[in-house]
Amino acid sequence: MIELAWRNLWRQPKRTLLTVAAIAFAALVMVFLLAFQVGTYAIMEENTLSLFDGDAQVQQPGYLDDPGIRKSFATEPLAASVARVPGVDAVAARAQTYALLSKDQRSLAALIVGVEPKREARVSRVATMVRDGRYLETGDAAEMVLGDALARNLGIKVGDRVTMLGMGRDGSVAADVLTVAGVFSTGVNELDRNLAEMPLARFGADFAMPGQAHAIVISGTTLANIDDALPALRNIATKHNLTVRDWGELEPGLKNAIRLDASTSLLWYVALIVVVVAILLNTLLMSVLERTREFGVLLALGMRPAAAGRMVWIEIMLLLAIGLAAGIAVGAAAAGWFEVHGLPLPGGDGVFAQWGLPGRIYPHLNWFSLFAGPAAIAVLTAAAGLFPYLRLRRLDPVTAMRSA
Amino acid sequence: MNTPIRSLLIIIALFAVAPAATAAPDPTQLVKGALHRWRGDSSYTEVAMTIHRPDWQRDMTMVSWTRGKSDSLVRFTQPPGDAGNATLKLGQALWLFNPKLNQVIRLPFSMMAQNWMGSDFTYNDFVKSDQIVNDYTQRLDASESRDGHKVYTVTCLPKPDAAVVWGKQVLKIRDDHVLLEETFFDQDMKPVRRLRTTKIAPLGGRPYPVVMRVAKIATPERWTEMRYVRAVFDLKLPGYLFTQSNLRNPRPWRAP
Repeated sequence: MIELAWRNLWRQPKRTLLTVAAIAFAALVMVFLLAFQVGTYAIMEENTLSLFDGDAQVQQPGYLDDPGIRKSFATEPLAASVARVPGVDAVAARAQTYALLSKDQRSLAALIVGVEPKREARVSRVATMVRDGRYLETGDAAEMVLGDALARNLGIKVGDRVTMLGMGRDGSVAADVLTVAGVFSTGVNELDRNLAEMPLARFGADFAMPGQAHAIVISGTTLANIDDALPALRNIATKHNLTVRDWGELEPGLKNAIRLDASTSLLWYVALIVVVVAILLNTLLMSVLERTREFGVLLALGMRPAAAGRMVWIEIMLLLAIGLAAGIAVGAAAAGWFEVHGLPLPGGDGVFAQWGLPGRIYPHLNWFSLFAGPAAIAVLTAAAGLFPYLRLRRLDPVTAMRSA
Repeated sequence: MNTPIRSLLIIIALFAVAPAATAAPDPTQLVKGALHRWRGDSSYTEVAMTIHRPDWQRDMTMVSWTRGKSDSLVRFTQPPGDAGNATLKLGQALWLFNPKLNQVIRLPFSMMAQNWMGSDFTYNDFVKSDQIVNDYTQRLDASESRDGHKVYTVTCLPKPDAAVVWGKQVLKIRDDHVLLEETFFDQDMKPVRRLRTTKIAPLGGRPYPVVMRVAKIATPERWTEMRYVRAVFDLKLPGYLFTQSNLRNPRPWRAP
């Protein structure tokens, strides 16, 4: 039967090839665009999260919604046990509060973050973005690094001394003088305007919370590994009456942006698939109509209508298989090439900088991007193939043979 | 009811209402009076402050001097860790001295409206600058009798071009200018925080709101209380008190 269907296909090679090309093209576009999207999302997540937030954080339950300096916790031995969870690449404790930074007659409120320099550099890329001076180092005592916009607004540069004034965990006045070791420029306005980092130990002394922190920042070997490790992490956190915030909670804006983008593009994909399947169905129906006499003869020779219907359906499936195989192959090859070389997006630099994106997009092939689109096309076409099948089952051999 | 008695009642009612109506005070003068009751032409006060949170509490003491409507100096005396911290406000300028750093830091004026020393008071609540007179229009909304006093409700709405954080403020002021209550509304006209006088007692020769408590309406369990321990009003204060050099190196000054 398959052989028969196969031979039938090549009685009209031009039409067959055109149909195959339509299917292949749709599959190709789907594969490439999905790989492109998956790649973009991965880069958005990766770059946004690795910049400052990390892939997940351990915090006090109420800290995310209402951060306050009193919602702190002892970092050890918690940090050590978090670091041992499989999938966790690095952990770093952080303490943070708002305080006033002041130089001469200028004062500005800033987000002061106490960090462990060595470990912080493994969970946050801020360390790699120091433009002047250097990042914090182990052994630094009264040093500080801060965003370039903040430094500019305060009128300070590397080597200057800046006064910090805030409120300690116990409500006392927290004041210190710190030396600017470096100025970083992340390209993310919010960080460059607000963020200042200092050694955690000094933070603890200044703000009356030694040995305590507000977050343990977790960076995974991959983001997916951290998502897999969440139950284990939650388990540890719960024992200390703490909670784990995943990346979607830390960066709800990013999550929503991705969700919005995914749902709008889903509409486009659905439209694309519907159009392709409609064209396909049209071609198939036409060919069945054209071959009415042929089917009449087959039936008269004793072929059962169901078998004739099956034959046509198999023809369609063959078309589909060839088309999808070609589409997936070419789409994967294109996506694969750009996955290695990157796809430059002219003019995109400014728009993407807010998500920490580079000017180049790297598509990413995975099982989903490779097969989700083709599978959707296959299912819809297989369903559409039922129309010619049903039509054949109702065919009367005599009228069929007499039709023109 | 027969007519003569009815008219008589009306006349009595008219007489009862009329004096009150004519005696309705000017709301702006009421607010000014409350500010003046608070600070006098000049003042020296000793104040204890308690910051209360469900899980902790903190007590502080301070001394403060005010001159005119816009100058003030506040110096913390307890607890030992914070003693010596001081703030000086001259007109629109604000400085802080921190003894640990031995440094005077100029604060942005916006700090006036922010929580002060970790309390629920703003600096403005404490020094009661005349912003509420200058940047707001006052309207008398109601009056009631309470404990033999008349209590007036004054609504203060920001002037169109005033740079203020509140959508409106509603004050309850007693006829002797003791401030009983002040409610702060956000720009959506929802009440956000409330300052209440919980004890009135003679202080510095006048009835005074000696104990006040402030809390956000949404979190009444987080409050700050201020207790006036001692006050001298309308005294002669030397000019050097309100200088940056005195902020940094306090010159001896003994309260009369």
